[in-house]
Amino acid sequence: MYLYAGKILRVDLSAGTITDEPLNRDWLRQFWGGWGLAAKYFTELANPAVDALDASTPMIFMTGALAGTLAPLSGRFCMVSRSPQTGTIFESNVGGSIGPELKHAGYDGMIITGRAAGPVFISINDADVSIEDAGYLWGKPIFETEKALKAASGCPAAKSMAIGPAGENLIPFACVGSEAYRQFGRGGVGALFGSKNLKGVVIRGTGGIRVADMEKFLSVARTASAENLMTEANLWAKTDGTPLIVNVTNEMGLHPTRNFTYGVNEDFGAIGTESVKKATISQRACISCPLGCGKFTSVDGVAVEGPEYETLCLGGSNCGMNDLGSIIKFNRTCDDWGVDTITTGATIAMAMDMKEMGLHDFGLEFGGKAEYLSVVEEIATLSTDRGRDLALGTRGLGEKYNAGHLAVNSKGLEFPAYDPRGNHGMGLAYATSERGACHLRAFPLFSETPFDHEALVAEVVSGQNFNGIKWSMCICDFWGSVNSTILADLLSAALGETVTSEELDLAGERIWNLARLFNLKAGFTAKDDTLPDKILKTALKKGPNDGSTMTSADLADMKQRYYTSREWDSNGVPTQAKRAALSL
Amino acid sequence: MTMTLITNPDLCTGCNRCAYACSARHENMFAPALARLSINNYPLQGYSVPSVCFQCKRPDCLTACPEQAITRGLDGIVTIDADICTGCGKCIPACSWGMVSKHPTTGKAFKCDLCGGDPACVAECHFNALTFAEWEGDTAKNKAKQMKFRNEYGSPELKRDAFGKSIMNEAGR
Ligand code: SF4
Ligand code: SF4
Repeated sequence: MYLYAGKILRVDLSAGTITDEPLNRDWLRQFWGGWGLAAKYFTELANPAVDALDASTPMIFMTGALAGTLAPLSGRFCMVSRSPQTGTIFESNVGGSIGPELKHAGYDGMIITGRAAGPVFISINDADVSIEDAGYLWGKPIFETEKALKAASGCPAAKSMAIGPAGENLIPFACVGSEAYRQFGRGGVGALFGSKNLKGVVIRGTGGIRVADMEKFLSVARTASAENLMTEANLWAKTDGTPLIVNVTNEMGLHPTRNFTYGVNEDFGAIGTESVKKATISQRACISCPLGCGKFTSVDGVAVEGPEYETLCLGGSNCGMNDLGSIIKFNRTCDDWGVDTITTGATIAMAMDMKEMGLHDFGLEFGGKAEYLSVVEEIATLSTDRGRDLALGTRGLGEKYNAGHLAVNSKGLEFPAYDPRGNHGMGLAYATSERGACHLRAFPLFSETPFDHEALVAEVVSGQNFNGIKWSMCICDFWGSVNSTILADLLSAALGETVTSEELDLAGERIWNLARLFNLKAGFTAKDDTLPDKILKTALKKGPNDGSTMTSADLADMKQRYYTSREWDSNGVPTQAKRAALSL
Repeated sequence: MTMTLITNPDLCTGCNRCAYACSARHENMFAPALARLSINNYPLQGYSVPSVCFQCKRPDCLTACPEQAITRGLDGIVTIDADICTGCGKCIPACSWGMVSKHPTTGKAFKCDLCGGDPACVAECHFNALTFAEWEGDTAKNKAKQMKFRNEYGSPELKRDAFGKSIMNEAGR
């Protein structure tokens, strides 16, 4: 079989069984791989009435159709399950190199169900797969665990992923770390591992991936790389990486600062791209990526790959923290103990805001370094009262302390670092994302008309549809100029069949609707497509958007236009006609 | 004039595009484990070290081969003639850097042949971590420095890893 390994690995941790099954080829031309194919497997297997942390909830890992080839930026690895944080269907993906390693081991994907009797890890060495005791690793942070997993595999070249104490403690925003500083960051994938007593997975794959016509495939990949990828639209990722966005969003005036109170951080220079450049000691790339956006930084002997933009903002500006060294420490601690930097930063910021508002004093205040740094481990290990409180995330914290008006999330997922009051399209993107507030579904940030609802709705719909197919190829977001024609050309050369951009576009829309249908079955309604009071009821302060709002009326107007444009009814349910057109 | 492949680990990002390009050229598939060079990746330290064949002037693999299947050409390229190779495997432990391996399907030994003088890996490295240059001056010095880190024992994979760690150590990482 070209491009695909042709097999899916199934591990049932309750029964302790390992089987493999042929990849379902009937689904390939509809869902392709990655997000799409994983969502298809998930919706076929999962019961929408069952909780995320139930043993029966399947976790579906899937490589992209182009993973493990010279198609640039194609190496991300996707997981679809249900999020313990939002309750929705949830796709999360990780960079680094572990996805292609699984494909080289002979599997396009992996389905994990059940709960082991005690802590285990899964070891994959090509066709040799086993479930191993991980009792000796339970309680250990991620870096040490990954080292031990590699030692256990006996292969220095093996790739791994693991949870830290946060995942073991089922914290709803626990991440899974892979190859040190890469994460399945959002949505609590780490807690899913923990609920299955799964400490980690180590993979070594030595097999090859074939394409129908190597010369043709290489020439298509090289042309796409030279003419579309390595161009001005994307080279910022190579020269600066995401820290550049600190400067950009401050200029635009929608840079979340002090728990989404201000749209600019007046001291952003201290944590912006020039400062990160000064601290950079080497450049890192995911597998098969010629951009290398990863900046490896070191301050006072503490090193990390990052901090990325989201961490610089949510763990920096939003916490009133303008000390790069402290943010690097925060980043490293989150990565090692296993919590998502976005939610952790946002929740700490909310606790700081609660103190400022006189609601509750957790000993955390904007800009205060020592407590900001020590609380991360307290959250991951649930070792103090405030650690247990903050482990609830912003929604839980708001409920417990009657502080919902300071909690900035949608469907329970904390906002990424773009304030919708400076661009209503981002608000619609957050409200309608299948996994809660997310910037990886539609990203109308650079719209010329950031308050023009009609134009923004069109941009959000097309962005979501295209990301449906892009995440099914597991193509990294930083190939911002990639399009479905390029993807179709790569697939055609690899498969030796004609693949059209139209069928890919349709697949993207199909995937978006499939996720929506699952959420509807799981009990979500149009009411859940919403934004928090802090955004809808207060105006942004300072900077170019001083006084800007995004009211309930704005959101309602956009939602109605959005549903109509999607051919969903006024309750946000896809019409029969739409479902039929998408073969759903 | 002898051209040689030289690496600069300080610039290597660990992207492995070189290894993909190598396996595409030699195996007609994407299989980094079968590439003739390999990248030792140390993500926690943010460092990667390419392992490449040094095309030694007095190759130990060549000396070890009882069949004279390995030769060193006037261009300095050390090649294995697969028609002569019997697959006995004596050359594999002979290399101190783990750069000769047994092919899983043919059973014969295989190693880097610099693509006959136009290395696919160099063309695919976007970070200048791999260069193909005349074997003299600074190039020769750098190469000699890396070649110090020899390992007599272990599988090729373990030798490459030990080599990578020594280089990383020396770089202070
Ligand atoms: S494996 Fe082949 S090349 Fe190596 S020593 Fe034996 S005969 Fe010579
Ligand atoms: S292509 Fe260059 S940067 Fe990438 S792994 Fe190979 S040597 Fe390193």
